[in-house]
Amino acid sequence: MNLKHLGSTMKRLLTRVILPATAAVAFSAHAAQPLKIGYSDWPGWVAWQVAIDKGWFKEAGVPVNFEWFDYTASMDAFSASKIDAVTMTNGDALVTGAAGGKSVMVMLTDYSNGNDMIIGKPGVRSLKALKGKKVAVEMGFVEHLLLLNGLKKAGMKESDVTLVNAKTNEMPQMLASGDVAAVGAWQPIAGQAIKAVPGARPIYTSADEPGLIYDVLAVNPASAKQRKADWVKVVKVWDRVVKYINDPKTQPDAVKIMSARVGVSPETYLPLLKGTKLLSLDEARKIYVKGDGFKTLQGSTKISDQFNVANDVYKAAQDVDSYLDASFTNAK
Amino acid sequence: MKPIANNEASKRTLLAVGSFLLPLLVWCLVSYVPFIWHPKVEVTVPGGIDYFQAGMLVDQTQFADETDYAREQGLALPSGVPANPIYLPAPHQVAQAFYTGFAKQPVQKDAPWLHESLWHSIQIIFWGFVLSSIVGVPLGILAGTYASLGRLTEPFVEYFRYLPAPAFGALAVAILGIYDGPKIAIIVIGTLFQQVLIVANTTRKLEATIIEAARTLGTRGFRLLTRVVVPGILPDLYRDQRILLGWAWTYLIVAELIGTSSGITWYITQQARYQHFDNVYAAIMIIGIIGFGTDLILARLGRRLFPWDRSQDRR
Repeated sequence: MNLKHLGSTMKRLLTRVILPATAAVAFSAHAAQPLKIGYSDWPGWVAWQVAIDKGWFKEAGVPVNFEWFDYTASMDAFSASKIDAVTMTNGDALVTGAAGGKSVMVMLTDYSNGNDMIIGKPGVRSLKALKGKKVAVEMGFVEHLLLLNGLKKAGMKESDVTLVNAKTNEMPQMLASGDVAAVGAWQPIAGQAIKAVPGARPIYTSADEPGLIYDVLAVNPASAKQRKADWVKVVKVWDRVVKYINDPKTQPDAVKIMSARVGVSPETYLPLLKGTKLLSLDEARKIYVKGDGFKTLQGSTKISDQFNVANDVYKAAQDVDSYLDASFTNAK
Repeated sequence: MKPIANNEASKRTLLAVGSFLLPLLVWCLVSYVPFIWHPKVEVTVPGGIDYFQAGMLVDQTQFADETDYAREQGLALPSGVPANPIYLPAPHQVAQAFYTGFAKQPVQKDAPWLHESLWHSIQIIFWGFVLSSIVGVPLGILAGTYASLGRLTEPFVEYFRYLPAPAFGALAVAILGIYDGPKIAIIVIGTLFQQVLIVANTTRKLEATIIEAARTLGTRGFRLLTRVVVPGILPDLYRDQRILLGWAWTYLIVAELIGTSSGITWYITQQARYQHFDNVYAAIMIIGIIGFGTDLILARLGRRLFPWDRSQDRR
């Protein structure tokens, strides 16, 4: 078989088999393909498990398929268009988008309310005490942003401390080594660090700056547009989840479901849930408005964008507004 | 002759058992003898130290400092027992985790049992290894038999085998989806390139005189491969495959982190994240047992299949 022949065979294969096949797949996607959503181990996202286990999506008449991932793997799968939506932070939505995986944040799930922290080693009681000392953070990630935010409030600059770059997973060991004065980590790793080094305490947390890190459900723009009605239904189910978790009567059952998802006991899981402020639709509507600063999603995302550019996470500033669409959250 | 052989065999079994008992003994010593290692103190009574809690692990020096401080201040004295860091659970804890792991129904609805997760992982390994072998073994044999083909393929294969297989994870997801495809692909990438080189090398070790003789007698092409080369290297090829299967297992943990969380890796990483190291070690040991068990069976099978090949006797 010569090369030319091979070429024409390939072309025929493409036009006769592959293209119709993809068209068929694309077409049937319109019909009733379940929405594929990737979620991972963060209290605000594990919360979806309540709706999954209770069958609330079926009741709402929206077919969904939740897939459990490692956080980074979930963003990879989203970038590769293998899932329709993914749960991530607003900052990571920008990072993923800068690399080609553009998304629309259709709703807010929660904001970190203490689960992200800067932890001082024994004797370090405030950010001021860090002057001239070493602090370990995973550079370009949320704890880095949290530290900068705290330093600024304490009247200090980034150059007042020496940053040490380390993986968040290794922060407990970093703190235990005693070589750094403080580390930045999120839960459950932060809790391990505190437990591993008795006397260590959080000196600045996301509860000191609510809205620094918002968590969202980010949807592939094409899917958001084509299946808007379905996504609105998903958003409505979320409201039910938040009510179920926040109601003291049903909370134990919710915590049981969530802790089972991540494989720990409910007692271990409860504190992690407390460090997360789940947002009901009413609360989310007040945040999903135009405005600057950490009180709005737009403001927080803009700050995140500046931070990402300043730290070379990506080169050019992103069009933040293209990621935002409050109509899903505001739909009646 | 007979009794000596028997004696030899029982001695060998004894040594084999001993090779497992020795590390276990070391582990027991480190875990149960309080003055060996035990760099931490587990607080039993917090006393007057405000941040101490029962069950907390504290460095020995820190515990001593705080005790001195409590004495100076006239506070209630804390007490504790020597302990190891949380990263090293004791044998009985792991044994217990091992048992409950299999016996206990998962709390979450529809969550897989541990044996189901394990079975899923075994399937990943199986398909990864089969696919790798379908390409790797024939290519290796050809490259080993025909020098020019070897020179054409081996430099690149040699180069590629140094590339870290997990780094292709994102690409594998983009092409093969989020389920088992990319995981199997990582196993293949991790195994295939080693396989080609090892099989080619084994093929080259076949005595040149045998091939010469076959050629002299008029054997050519395909028949040379099927009638002379393959039968000649079969016992060695079998042993190579055994070693390569073990190689494939080492890629399991990174492979299963790609795409959706599944299999035994999901169990290990999740339990490690919440510091349940007894469960982690139990799961690690299960992998060891399966891998080692498979290899024992394959070795025994090898002795049956190739009774003339003495090197199969060596375990």
